[in-house]
Amino acid sequence: MTAVRFQDAAKDARTVVYAGIQADPLVARLAGLALAADYPQRLMARAVMNGESVDPETWRAAFPTVLGPAAPGRERAEAILAASLEVARRGEQARSQYRGAFVEELTELLVRRRLGPAAEPAVRRERRVLFDGVAAEIHPYDLTVEIPGRAEAWDCKWGARGINADVLNQLDDARRHAADEAAALRVGLVVFDLRTSCAVRLAQQTAPRQGLAVVTLESLDALGGPKA
Amino acid sequence: MSHAGPGSDTQPAATRGAALATALAALDGLVELGETIEEEWTYVTALAEAGRSRLRAAAGADPATPLDPDRGAAVAAACAEAARIGDPHRAIDWLSMLPAIVELALGSPLAAPVAVPRAG
Repeated sequence: MTAVRFQDAAKDARTVVYAGIQADPLVARLAGLALAADYPQRLMARAVMNGESVDPETWRAAFPTVLGPAAPGRERAEAILAASLEVARRGEQARSQYRGAFVEELTELLVRRRLGPAAEPAVRRERRVLFDGVAAEIHPYDLTVEIPGRAEAWDCKWGARGINADVLNQLDDARRHAADEAAALRVGLVVFDLRTSCAVRLAQQTAPRQGLAVVTLESLDALGGPKA
Repeated sequence: MSHAGPGSDTQPAATRGAALATALAALDGLVELGETIEEEWTYVTALAEAGRSRLRAAAGADPATPLDPDRGAAVAAACAEAARIGDPHRAIDWLSMLPAIVELALGSPLAAPVAVPRAG
């Protein structure tokens, strides 16, 4: 079995600006909370980061089973609410970038949890996959696992609308080129949205998706392995 | 600027049927807004249909079944928030989420942890 080869993506002005958002401690805090969260808490986080209201009482009323006095894990849920409201207060353009950075960070934490500390150096961000005689992809992958024989390439999306032909074709190209080189490469999408919405979106795409793993809000823990 | 449709009525529903009516009205408001993004019309239409089915399933077979006041208030609060959405792109995002939020509020069985599915 051949090993898949990776390389850093070239940085442009946009990636430099975005790197500042990725490095904001709010992104890491929210992702850390979401890592330990359950499905209802993650759904609440998505709603708050996508909502209009920045009054926590609105969200406590809408999510009594998550934020009510008898809710299990209420302390964590309140911390998720507070962090999600911080994102929501940043304004439309910034919140969109924060949400994207959050999904990437959460994906990294989940994959690291599954692989364990020994694999830490192999989990990388914004890398390209290299194949002989094939032009490098336009966009780097949000997250890669660079373990020979167990390589992975993941794209992260805030919502199902991020699933489009370009994304699916790039992932399929990588999977096929890896197969041509007799290299193992798992490819997939992590979408912080509902399974139904992803299924509806995928059903409308004609781009190939054979062998594509799709992780949704409901299946995040399957990506991350057992919780500590 | 919100679309302030029927879902903006924040009166808590007293029955599961009333909660369903509130949620369906809120969903329709989101659909109306989301459909203004022409290239997403097909997605919005299919997503709305899936959402309506999900809401009906969550409400159950007997619309007269009384609803706990907290749950009725939760549905009303979620639908009121959906009615505040004024941006069509965000409306599509809410179209995706609202049925799941109402499901949670109504105490429907939650999505169990599932294996990572493969598309295609």
